[in-house]
Amino acid sequence: MRMLREMTKTPFYVLLHPFQGFWDLKYENKGRLRVALSMLLLLTVATILLRQYAGFVVNFNYPYDLNSINELQYIVLPFFLWCVANWSLTTLMDGEGKFKDIVMATGYALLPLILMRFGNVLISNIITTRESAFYYMIDSLSVLWFVWLLFIGTMTVHQYTVLKTIVTMLLTLVVMGIIMFLGLLFFSLLQEMIGFVVSIYNEISYRI
Amino acid sequence: MKLIKSISKVVLVLTTVSLLASPLQAGAAPYEGYSYSYWGDSVSTPNAYTPAGTIDGTEQGIGKLLEPSDMYVAEDGLLYVLDAGNGRIVVFDQDWRVVREIRGFVRDGKNEKFNSPQGIYVTKHNHIYIADTENRRVVELTGEGDFVRDIGAPKSDVIRAGFEYYPIKVSVDHAGRIYVVGRGVFDGIIELDAEGNFTGFMGTNRVKFDAWDYFWKKMSTKEQRSKLEQFVPLEFNNVDLDSEGFLYTTTSELTSSDPIKRLNPVGEDVLRRQGYWFPRGDIYSMGSSESSLLIDVKVGENGVYSALDSRKGRVFTYDQDGNLLYIFGRMGEQEGTFRTPVALERRGDDFLVLDKAMNRISVFKPTRYGALINEANHLLFSGKYDEAEQKWKDLLKLDSNNEIAYVGIGKVMLRQGENKQALEYLKLGYDREYYSKAFGKYRKEIVREYFGTGMTIVIVLGVALVGFSFLRRRARGKVNADVT
Repeated sequence: MRMLREMTKTPFYVLLHPFQGFWDLKYENKGRLRVALSMLLLLTVATILLRQYAGFVVNFNYPYDLNSINELQYIVLPFFLWCVANWSLTTLMDGEGKFKDIVMATGYALLPLILMRFGNVLISNIITTRESAFYYMIDSLSVLWFVWLLFIGTMTVHQYTVLKTIVTMLLTLVVMGIIMFLGLLFFSLLQEMIGFVVSIYNEISYRI
Repeated sequence: MKLIKSISKVVLVLTTVSLLASPLQAGAAPYEGYSYSYWGDSVSTPNAYTPAGTIDGTEQGIGKLLEPSDMYVAEDGLLYVLDAGNGRIVVFDQDWRVVREIRGFVRDGKNEKFNSPQGIYVTKHNHIYIADTENRRVVELTGEGDFVRDIGAPKSDVIRAGFEYYPIKVSVDHAGRIYVVGRGVFDGIIELDAEGNFTGFMGTNRVKFDAWDYFWKKMSTKEQRSKLEQFVPLEFNNVDLDSEGFLYTTTSELTSSDPIKRLNPVGEDVLRRQGYWFPRGDIYSMGSSESSLLIDVKVGENGVYSALDSRKGRVFTYDQDGNLLYIFGRMGEQEGTFRTPVALERRGDDFLVLDKAMNRISVFKPTRYGALINEANHLLFSGKYDEAEQKWKDLLKLDSNNEIAYVGIGKVMLRQGENKQALEYLKLGYDREYYSKAFGKYRKEIVREYFGTGMTIVIVLGVALVGFSFLRRRARGKVNADVT
């Protein structure tokens, strides 16, 4: 019971006191990987809910296009891509964070997105078009807060200076692109290879 | 022999069965009605208009029409058909009897003929204006076919060198100003005053090019540039006047977002585009092969206008706000289909489409569905919202996907103060603006209704909470006191 309380309390502490919070996560062993991963799950749920149940005045989604599996593609995949890219980069750039630390910091940083998306589901259902500015303001505010937390998290986890953190974060985005490119290349080559093997098999089976 | 017999028997049986099985609709049309939903998907609708015969002149005893190029319904209901191939104008009355034929005119004692004329217009005073294309002039005749005047090429300093005058369409407004559409004239519509003097070009289409073209043009040398395609605006291909004297124009451009324009007297486009999609015929989300090529526009009553698509032979009708009302027609060889549609006219609620290749006029009459839309629109336009609501409701019985009907009903309900129901209908019609209005009112209603109860509950709860914590603190204090 006490542990559960601790686990729910820490993310909110991080939310409001990022410097101390991220320090505690790493150096006071307050961070839990489970919490970070459930954050990811919650964000996915929140996004699905928002897309499905946001009020009519701000919901422009075509119901036939909504697919919850797609959210994995747009949330879970980038999340791990970020972590992997950040980790591969910081190991080369004297970062102090382990992969676990990076996942944890990124996961805890998602909290504003989660809270505000849940909040927006409710708010969007009681606003008119004229008040929809609030909805969009909250939306962009949550993104800004997330970026702020991510920035502090990265800085604390790797013990970087401000400038180095910014450079690292930008480079991480580049690395994410490179990983995606390599992935696509790999899969298309694999496809070619499989096609080649299959056609050889077909050729032989027709001859015999 | 036996085999052939049995085969023919089978075929006969099969044909009978298929004939019986085919749904025998009343006035079945060779096309299927459809419309575009809010999301841009094409959705089936009942047919709004069905073919009701064709006119090619043989039954009227005047010989077959030959490559007719244009027609016009005058205010008194007479239809003037410009039978270009035969070089004549045929005037039909409402019952398709020939009133007269005009085979040229007498000028200064000499007979003159038309040379492949492309456009015709009839004024309120029954004066006929003909765009006599290959003779490079506009001719004005009286209703009986007597020569009044002819207007040659416009002369002015502002007209560029190499300007070739081939008038193809002509319109005349209440004040007698003449608007001429010229072939290959990309400067705009040629505007002439009542005397026929050139006053200017109206509503030039904007030049369109992309950044990539611009880049190449900047990079190339002068010689290369002269070989490159020039960026010129597209020419108008047709013109019609509405009752307020505004010009409706069409432009033949694939994948254009605004092929239909409504020009005010200054030449600005003031067409209302409040519908789900801009009025542009078929929505070409799948690529330019689906795009329409509009060739004629006709303004009807109540701000409704229709455009004719020469590519797929469809007639699109929009209301004054730019909502798509209905679509009908298609290419083909049957009655009610076209090979080369060139002109669209409206007489009362009937549509007439002139086919240049089939040399005939196709007549279309509204079905119950089409008539309901027309009536609802008329009621809406004249401000009889409550009566319009009933029409929309009848319409929904025929087509429960009709989003415009939902919006119509929703707006009426909003006016009647039935906010909650209005919300439902406006949501079905995807009208966010009015939905939001209705929602604001509904929210106010709810707040007003439950404010008292809500506040009471909040205050009671608040007091209870304070009291509870106070008691608890005291109890705890006592416990503490006991311990110490």
